Amino acid sequence: MSINVVIVGHVDHGKSTLIGRLLYDSETLPDDKLAEIQKLLEEYKKRFEFAYFLDSFEEELKEERTIDTTRVLFKGKDYYTIVDVPGHKQFIKNMLTGACHAQVAVLVVSAPDGVQEQTRRHAFLLHMLGVQNIFVAVNKMDLVDYRKRVFQEVSEETARLLSSLGYSGARFIPISAMEGDNVYKPSGRMEWYQGPTVIQSLDGIEPDKVAEKPLRFIVQDVYRLDSEKVIVGRVESGTLRSGDKLIFQPSGMKGRVEKIKVFPGEVDEARSGDSMGIVTGCEAKRGDVGGHLENPPTPVDKFLVEVVLLEGTLKRGDEFEMKCGAMRTKCLVSEIKERINSETGEVMEKNTEEIGENEAATVVLKTEPLVVEKFSEIPELGRFILARNRRNIGAGIVLEVAI
Amino acid sequence: MLDLNDLENRTIYIVREVYAEFKSPAVLWSMGKDSTTMLWLCRKAFFGKIPFPVIHIDTGYKFRQMYKFRDEIAREWGLELVVAKNEEAVKEGVGPEDGKFECCTRLKTEALKRCLEKYGFDALILAIRRDEHGIRAKERYFSPRNENFGWDYRDQPLEMWDQFQGLLGEGTHMRVHPILHWRELDVWEYIKREGMPINPMYFAENGRRYRSLGCEPCTLTIESNAANIDEIVEELKITRVAERAGRAQDKERVFTMQKLRALGYM
Repeated sequence: MSINVVIVGHVDHGKSTLIGRLLYDSETLPDDKLAEIQKLLEEYKKRFEFAYFLDSFEEELKEERTIDTTRVLFKGKDYYTIVDVPGHKQFIKNMLTGACHAQVAVLVVSAPDGVQEQTRRHAFLLHMLGVQNIFVAVNKMDLVDYRKRVFQEVSEETARLLSSLGYSGARFIPISAMEGDNVYKPSGRMEWYQGPTVIQSLDGIEPDKVAEKPLRFIVQDVYRLDSEKVIVGRVESGTLRSGDKLIFQPSGMKGRVEKIKVFPGEVDEARSGDSMGIVTGCEAKRGDVGGHLENPPTPVDKFLVEVVLLEGTLKRGDEFEMKCGAMRTKCLVSEIKERINSETGEVMEKNTEEIGENEAATVVLKTEPLVVEKFSEIPELGRFILARNRRNIGAGIVLEVAI
Repeated sequence: MLDLNDLENRTIYIVREVYAEFKSPAVLWSMGKDSTTMLWLCRKAFFGKIPFPVIHIDTGYKFRQMYKFRDEIAREWGLELVVAKNEEAVKEGVGPEDGKFECCTRLKTEALKRCLEKYGFDALILAIRRDEHGIRAKERYFSPRNENFGWDYRDQPLEMWDQFQGLLGEGTHMRVHPILHWRELDVWEYIKREGMPINPMYFAENGRRYRSLGCEPCTLTIESNAANIDEIVEELKITRVAERAGRAQDKERVFTMQKLRALGYM
């Protein structure tokens, strides 16, 4: 599987340029891509930018900024899915769309500008999304004459930000994406830096050891095939074996796995990530979560979450639609415990009535019984989306289930 | 190599979400390698029988071999085939000489629009992939289209953790892209692994082959000696030529693809 790497940071600090440079220097692009871009530049009377390998909307070219997220597959030691996200505050939802599956982040900070508003907000959001591995690329070193002192100052400023969010030991890399220093090729212009390039840093990542977790199988649907009822869904964590005794919650149905069906045929075992069907003799419902009797999923109706709101307001007493796994249900905002500044992570107010756009909060939600898990234990069932009028408007993670 | 099982699992998950969340889905099939792979994956998701219609948008300009392949596979897999054609434009004699943009819009986008009105489909499964084209790389898995078929790419929905946007209102429909994360190479590796039937036009004859299939007047061959699936896989590992190099509608002018897609092109 490929490693998901998101490139984040403030607008204009060089995220798309960094990726464009990586693709260019590694000769990943097809030959006619450059010719295609040359044609664009002539027609729009623009100077060449590496960002144009990613920014493929006309508006992105005209406005010289990334509007929406995109991703490219890059082959290093492993495969990396490199995700580009916009750095503007108005496009936070596109940033989250790109960043939500990241295992690694490269935080790009401009050497002449240092830490800025979206540097801080993106760092906060990475922390909330549970991204553990962060590299900091101090970019535009060419604009500060490749001076070590500037690199050190910006690194220290960024390290303070990261440590305030609980990150320690991030690696700092001085680069110029525009000139190609320390992105794919080592730089000859910063003798004071002996560390790895961006790509060498990615190649040095050790894959996370996946701890064995309890079985959680989310039910998407039940199909009637000939005489069989097949419960289809995905194993989110743990291992499902033929013969296992299961309980589904919140419906409370119990059954024994007679068959694990794929097409064509059957298998004996399914692991996390597998989409398949099971025949159990019982009929679970869409939104149910299956688990073993000895470590069962437990339904709850009140739990503590951290949310970030992307549109409108969220008030105490409001009702939202919530989607977690395959469960879609109503939830009530029963308490807003802390209103949080999503730029700095600081608590602005306690026990408040309302939060606004682009703010975060810790909130107590009430629902009909459903299965959620602590994000820190089973992330796949500890993260959810909030919707209003059928529009996805916020995202959250579960902090506590027993409150 | 990417793990084909991971790619397949994610796609099947998405297809099952469509079937669970929408009243009247359908899948588009052009008989090319991607949409044939898409059908194969739909069959896997539903254990052999696709429970919704399969739409072929017939411009009348497709290759003869493609119609033959269509009819054979439709019979073999028991497909509920719907052939969508903009008869009015065909009668008017619309063709590539009217300009690629005009031709694609009238014969493909409008044909699809009429088909949707006639059958009331609210979700369309399409086999586009990010690595085909920069504009397709900007897509979501679930991408809403408004009443006029338009794609509001300046305000795409929040899409996190496989929690997809639902329908937004009357007259709108959802474009769903379950193989968005597959690459051209992955598709061929998968065809090979699964032993899938494939249109023989992809195999080289006399030093040339089709790498991407569209309408006959607007699709060119590329130089290649890859005469079977194994040789195509090997060719793709080293090629420096873009997949859609032989597809004229992408290249007529810059941003043609964006403008086509904004109007509801596939």
